[in-house]
Amino acid sequence: MILLMAWRNIWRNKSRSIVIMLSVAIGMLAGIGVLALYKGMMTSRVRTVIDSEVGHLQIHHPGFKKDYHPALILPGGNALLKQVRSYKEVKTAVPRTLAQGMLVTTTGSSGVQINGVIPELEYRASNLKQKIIEGEGFHKAKKNEILVGKKLADKMKLKTGSKLVLTFTDTSDNLVSSAFRVAGIYRSGNAPLDEINVYVQLTALNELLLTGNAFHEIAVLLNRDDDLQAMQEKLRETNPSLLVESWKDISPETDLMVKTVDQYSYIIMIVILIALAFGILNTMLMSVLERKKEIGMMLALGTSRLRIFLLVLTETVFLTVAGTPAGILMAYLVTSYYQKHGLDLSGMGKDMMASFGFETTIYPSFPWEKLSTILIMVIGLALLSCLLPVLKAVRLKPVEALRR
Amino acid sequence: MEKTVIDAHNISKVYNPETIPVYAVNNVHLHLREGEFTALVGPSGSGKTTLLNMIGGLDTPDEGKIYISGTDITQLSAGKLIDFRLHNIGFVFQSFNLIPVLTAKENVEFIMLLQGVKKTEREKRMQQLFKEIDLEDKINVRPAQLSGGQQQRVAVARALASRPHFILADEPTANLDSVSASHLLDLMEKMNKEENMTFLFSTHDQRVIERARRVITLVDGRITSDTAVVPTSVPHEQVNS
Repeated sequence: MILLMAWRNIWRNKSRSIVIMLSVAIGMLAGIGVLALYKGMMTSRVRTVIDSEVGHLQIHHPGFKKDYHPALILPGGNALLKQVRSYKEVKTAVPRTLAQGMLVTTTGSSGVQINGVIPELEYRASNLKQKIIEGEGFHKAKKNEILVGKKLADKMKLKTGSKLVLTFTDTSDNLVSSAFRVAGIYRSGNAPLDEINVYVQLTALNELLLTGNAFHEIAVLLNRDDDLQAMQEKLRETNPSLLVESWKDISPETDLMVKTVDQYSYIIMIVILIALAFGILNTMLMSVLERKKEIGMMLALGTSRLRIFLLVLTETVFLTVAGTPAGILMAYLVTSYYQKHGLDLSGMGKDMMASFGFETTIYPSFPWEKLSTILIMVIGLALLSCLLPVLKAVRLKPVEALRR
Repeated sequence: MEKTVIDAHNISKVYNPETIPVYAVNNVHLHLREGEFTALVGPSGSGKTTLLNMIGGLDTPDEGKIYISGTDITQLSAGKLIDFRLHNIGFVFQSFNLIPVLTAKENVEFIMLLQGVKKTEREKRMQQLFKEIDLEDKINVRPAQLSGGQQQRVAVARALASRPHFILADEPTANLDSVSASHLLDLMEKMNKEENMTFLFSTHDQRVIERARRVITLVDGRITSDTAVVPTSVPHEQVNS
């Protein structure tokens, strides 16, 4: 009977109830929309980190990352590469030779990280080919070619075909300089990295570093993100003397950003719900005050205060929850549309987005995993909103209420 | 010997006790036995409604004791008083006070649901009550679609549904036309005679006073007369015939 009364009560003032239900629906749409957008942004960022920057895992000599000394190659690197590639979880594993040095042109110089890569493998592993926006990329016959990032190219006024000199130290700490010609300019969507990373052919760099056919890094790409931890543990167990790091270890700022944004999105949701709570509170308060006499009569007849509490609470829950499915459905439809077509945020500043490592087109993703939390929050909202009206209702004295 | 249903001793209700005290009810003794059909009369402001509210456990006296079927209701906590009202007292209000979102049937059933009466018994009782109030064809109609007289009959059925020890009716005919009022009084008289239900009315209405078998007059919060009378009016059916 309480449920029936509560349901009918919310329809006593149809327009008022519909306005609140619409507010809840639009609030849901906005809240879930923000969560979906953030999820899309973070997914995109993580994918960029994994697919274009570091891979799922990287293996190094344990001392290499302390000062990037070229002598600290991966011991037994080729055998290790073969071993890593043999795991079914591994999609691809690529070797890289790394050196830190100076890029010098006639106009100036800039500190860079020189990545020695095997082009055909790197194109697959980090989508390097797709990132090239000017030039053709490496040519097999030409050894001293280099790919530079767009930001560095702009800074150093480099174009395809421009000549530059790379200077760095070899394994014996001798200063080495060599001229390279720009074979392509790439843009990865992460401007700070584009300013630092340059790519040359692994064989060319190894010749200059005197590292033979060795290398410093194996970047591993897995078939499934979920295998990350298991694979990291497996590689650590089989290679205890090496440094095996996941993308979360290598790019902790990305992991932190994902976690922070996750919490931040909940805060936005809570702010939206609190704003809605005031609307619902106002409606329920009006509803209770309008029915003072009726509630007084119910108390007079013998309705317990607990039942009055449940009645007002149920009405509030109905009022709140009624708009929720519509809000979720609208959010799902809007999110699905933009997930397919992408949401162009270039208006917010292409360079600013790139400087934070974000693509300008975001593909929002419906936050299914947060749906249960959202529903709990909505119920919490209803409970919060009904507190004052409930107190007003249960504190009514029948004799005073009936006198009205 | 007939049971005592209401036994009020020296009850008083004072408003503004610390400034200018106004005695709404002043040292009233009232004794009602089972099956009585009593009208509480008096001018406006004489304390009728206050007295009725105190007897009904809706208000508390500042002095005195009220025993309902042997229970001192002035000693009951607010929660226990609600429960006591549910099981022992039936109310009929001047402005009907049906729950507007419930149908006539649901309004009557509501009280029995609160009492925890089983479904089969509820159905049986409702059938019987709607037959008594002659509104069997209106059970699924909401109060707004009923006339004032019909609403008040549903209110009487609701009061009777809980099988109370007595019914308190505060100006039950005040908002009714003469035909509806007569119908309602017929119904209440019938319940009084056939089911020995005790009724206590507060009223100004001569039609009620004429039907009452005991008339208590209240002036300035004091009982000035308490008379057993022989009803002078005739039932509505006889008037029509």
